Amino acid sequence: MSSQGAYGYAVARIRAMELRLLDSGVLQRMIDAEDFASILKILGETSYSSAITSQTNGADFDKVLEADLHSIYEEIRTFVPDKEIVDIMRLQYDFHNVKVLLKSMFNVRTGGKKRWDLLTSLGSYPLDDLIMNVESEEYRLLPFGLNTLIPKCITVWEQSRDVLEVERLIDKRMFEVMLEKAHGLDMPGIISWIRTRTDGENIRSLLRLKRFNYDASKALPFLHEGGTIDVSMLASLITEPFETWGRAIEFSDFGKIIGSIDASGGYSDLILSLERVLDDCYLEKIAAGRYSPSAPENIPAYLWDKEMEIKNIRVITVSKRNKGDKDHLRRLIRHGYV
Amino acid sequence: METMLATISEQLGPMLVILGAALAVGFAGSGSAWGIGIANEAAAGVMTEDPKKFGYALVLLALPGTQGIYGLLVAVLSLQKAGLLGAGDVSLTVWQGLGICFACLPIAISGFYSAIWQGKSSAASILMISKRPEQIGKAVILPAMCETYAVFGLLVSILMLNGIKL
Repeated sequence: MSSQGAYGYAVARIRAMELRLLDSGVLQRMIDAEDFASILKILGETSYSSAITSQTNGADFDKVLEADLHSIYEEIRTFVPDKEIVDIMRLQYDFHNVKVLLKSMFNVRTGGKKRWDLLTSLGSYPLDDLIMNVESEEYRLLPFGLNTLIPKCITVWEQSRDVLEVERLIDKRMFEVMLEKAHGLDMPGIISWIRTRTDGENIRSLLRLKRFNYDASKALPFLHEGGTIDVSMLASLITEPFETWGRAIEFSDFGKIIGSIDASGGYSDLILSLERVLDDCYLEKIAAGRYSPSAPENIPAYLWDKEMEIKNIRVITVSKRNKGDKDHLRRLIRHGYV
Repeated sequence: METMLATISEQLGPMLVILGAALAVGFAGSGSAWGIGIANEAAAGVMTEDPKKFGYALVLLALPGTQGIYGLLVAVLSLQKAGLLGAGDVSLTVWQGLGICFACLPIAISGFYSAIWQGKSSAASILMISKRPEQIGKAVILPAMCETYAVFGLLVSILMLNGIKL
C-alpha cells in the first residue's frame, strides 16, 4: 500500500471537486420543480450543464448520469495513490454485470431474450472483456474468483433453476472480495466501513426475507460474514418485530438509526426508509475522516456522496415522471456531507 | 604529537562554531523544505481544479519557509560572532566554540519540527480555502500558531549567542 502521507494531493483535489456536487438547495429546487423539463433546466445550471441539452429525454438522461459517474471514477483513479480504493467502490457494478450476464444466459436457455441493456460500464473490470470471457466460457481469465463462481452458479441453476440462490452466491462473493481488497489496503477506516456496509446489507436482506416469512434457518445463508454483527444473532431477529431490532443491535452502528425508523407503515415504506437511513449511515461513517487532510477515507467518502447524488437525481426524476407526492419524495432523499 | 594536539585544540573552537551554524541552517532548512512540500501537495491538488486559488495557496505554502530563514540568520550571527566571516585571525577556546554550537540548537530543533507541522497545518488551511476562500484570514492564522515556537527558538538562540563572552 502507499503511505498515507501520499494522500495530500488526492485529498486536496477531492476537496476542490466537492464544489461540483449539488447542494441541498439545488435538490430542493428539483423536488419543487413542476416537471422533468424543469429539472433539466435546474441541472443545466450545475456541473451537469455540459452533458445536458434541451433534447435530453428520459433514456438519454440515465446515460448522462452513468457517463458522469463513470468519468468521476476514471478521473479519481488517475490520481489516487491506491487504485484499489476506487476499485472497491466499483465492485458492486462488476457483480451487477455478472448477474445480468448470467440471468441473460438463463433467459436465453428458457427461450427468453438477453438483457444486455441492463449492463453498466461502471465496473472496474472492462465490460467488453467480461462479456467476451463469459460468452466464450473463458472463465479462467476472470478476476475476483469469478473463474470458479460462474461455473458454480450455472451448475446450481441447471440443477435447481433457483435464480435467488445464484444471486445469493454472487452477493456473498462480492462482499468477500470487498473485504479482501480492504484488508489488502491495510487502512482501518476503509476496513471498518466495508464491515459496516456488510452489516447494513445483512439488515436490509433480513427485512426483505421477513416480508416473505422466512425463518432464521432459511434466512441465515443470505447473510454475509465479515460484518461487526454476528450473522446467527442477526438471523434470529427475523421472528422478532422490526421495532425491537434497534434494541437488539444497540451495540452496533445501526442500533440508534434503526430505532428511529417509523415502522407503522407497510413493508414497502419500511424498506425504503431503511435503505435511506442505511445509505446515510454509510456516508456518516466514512466521512468521519474528512477533517484530516491526508486521510484516504476522503476518497470513498466523496465517491459515496457522488453515488448518493446520482441516486437522488434518479429518485427525483422518477417521482416527477410518475407525479409522485413531494413530501414522500423528500423523505427518500439521501443526505450529503458537503 | 604535542604539536598536533595543540593544533586541534586551537582549531576545535572555530570548528564547533561551524558545526553549530551547519546544524542551524541544515535542520531548519530541511524542516522548511519538508513543510513546504506537504503544503505544495495540497496546493497542487486544489489548483488542478481551480487555478485561480494560486494567490491564496501561495501565502499559505510560503509560511513554513520562514524557519529556514531563521536558521540562516542564526548561522550568520554565529559565524560573525566567532569572527569567521572576516579575514582576520580567529581565536576561540573550545568552551566558547561549544557555547556557540549549543546556541544554534534551539533554532535547529524547533525550526525543523515546527516547519513540518506548519506545513501540515498549511495543507489543511489550503483545503479550507478551496471551499471557503473568503476565510483566508483565519486560514493563515492557524498555521501561524506553529510559527510561534520557531520564533521562540530563534529568540533563545540569539539571546544565548549574545550571552557568550569572547
